[in-house]
Amino acid sequence: MTTAVGGGLTGAVAAEWTKFWSVRATWWCLAAGTALMLGYSTLSGIAQRYDGDRPMGAHTIALGGGFYLAQFAVIAAATLFVTSEYAGGGIRSTLLWTPVRSRVVLAKAAVLLPVLAGYGVLLSCAGMALASTVKDGHGLPTSFAAGFTTTSGMGGYYALLGLLCTGFGWALRSAAGALVSVIVLLVPLPLIVASLGLPELMPYFPGIAGVNAMVEAGQPNPITMTVAPYAPWAGLAICAVWSAAALLTGAAVLHRRDA
Amino acid sequence: MITLRGLTKRYGEKTVVDALTCDVEPGRVTGFLGPNGAGKSTTMRMTVGLDRPQDGEALVGGRHYAELRHPLREVGALLDAKALHPGRSAGKHLLAMARSNGIAPGRVEEVLATVGLSDVAGKRAGQFSLGMGQRLGIAGALLGDPGVLMFDEPVNGLDPDGVRWVRQLMRSLAAEGRTVFVSSHLMSEMQLTADHLVVIGKGKLLADAPVAEFIAGNSRTTVSVVVPADAERDALDRRLRAEGGLTHPGEPGELVVDGLAVTHVGDLAHELGVRMHGLAERTASLEQAYMELTASSVEYGVSA
Repeated sequence: MTTAVGGGLTGAVAAEWTKFWSVRATWWCLAAGTALMLGYSTLSGIAQRYDGDRPMGAHTIALGGGFYLAQFAVIAAATLFVTSEYAGGGIRSTLLWTPVRSRVVLAKAAVLLPVLAGYGVLLSCAGMALASTVKDGHGLPTSFAAGFTTTSGMGGYYALLGLLCTGFGWALRSAAGALVSVIVLLVPLPLIVASLGLPELMPYFPGIAGVNAMVEAGQPNPITMTVAPYAPWAGLAICAVWSAAALLTGAAVLHRRDA
Repeated sequence: MITLRGLTKRYGEKTVVDALTCDVEPGRVTGFLGPNGAGKSTTMRMTVGLDRPQDGEALVGGRHYAELRHPLREVGALLDAKALHPGRSAGKHLLAMARSNGIAPGRVEEVLATVGLSDVAGKRAGQFSLGMGQRLGIAGALLGDPGVLMFDEPVNGLDPDGVRWVRQLMRSLAAEGRTVFVSSHLMSEMQLTADHLVVIGKGKLLADAPVAEFIAGNSRTTVSVVVPADAERDALDRRLRAEGGLTHPGEPGELVVDGLAVTHVGDLAHELGVRMHGLAERTASLEQAYMELTASSVEYGVSA
């Protein structure tokens, strides 16, 4: 059989695409993230009408919804995409279909990257549109540049966050272990490091770097209330380094261990 | 064609597969036998690259499994029917599988029809019974129309109809010239299905022979003669011993004769004018031959 049609990485990506969309967990996670973003934007928009003390733009509201709530749905979707392989032994089928193990890691990443980037962009746009409609002129205005930065930053951050989660999933093989590790890395760990006297390290953690990627250069990010020491694109570059490290670790574990 | 060369797998101190060397030829059903824990599944898993051997190699068609561009078009394997996401439907599972190896999506319906699961293609695999799961696993093995097929305990959980169906399926796959490698711990099943046997115990090769040769080489043929009258039976017994036969009582009225041909026993009985109710040659079943061979290598034996 020498036909070069299908198979290889292309086949692996096609298979993973089908697998991703053919389980309920994916749909539940994406629907839950959307609901959380829309709910947060609505409530924050309403709050802007009555609370003049903390005026916010629609892009800042979308950022808050994206970081505090919707990203956990992204984390769950991406982590389960990998760890469900180990929950039921599906990994043994997957590796029969695609025996080159690094190819499986790449294929899952290749599916998540565009899906989560698109999801982040859509969610950011929806959050901003809803927030600005609900707040109805209250709060702060959103410039095109600010909205664009938030939207592109959220798309990029979600995509890279998804890859980070798959890396943890491959390395730890359990949903609970991977979810806890990623969440600790994103939220409490930077706060702990800062409280230990190293606040200058905070912007280099993936979660904070992701937020910085959604804020225009020179503006304080609404989570840590500090100005990033780098441009928004550099925030995504920092996330990319974390994701690459996680993926390489995960791929090494998958390569070394028996399935 | 599957080629195993000095295949060795150790988990810590324990050697699970010990320098296993054999060829599994196309065009016949090769039964892979051994008690539980003998290393059958580990051997099959190493053949498809799921487990890594410490030493030696397993080749499919002369190549390592991981080197195959479209592995599913060359090797179909049912190793573990539960190796799938329980929340995905059977049809989507097979569709993803087909896409991974550039197999036409139309094959999915074909193999589902072959295994009789067309009606439940949309049902989530986690809701399948053990037997349906086995059928789905077999559908997956057939999906790429491969020349080499491996089945690890395929009749587990199947009803009698299903068992007969699997038996016929394996025979017809071999008749089409494919390599069919089937593991089982059930001798009786292999006796009905296999042409050739590879027997292992504690990871070591114990036998690699055609079924008939395996039985002949591992068991003795005896003659059963039933004589209702005690006096006549005693007379025949003495005569048989005088001719060099070994005898021992079997069922009530039966003598089991070892070392004499059935024709010879019949002639002697006729000579003595003994009234017989039965005269038959008894070939030990594969089960007995296998029990004798593996008696010393049972991993989880019950201590007497």
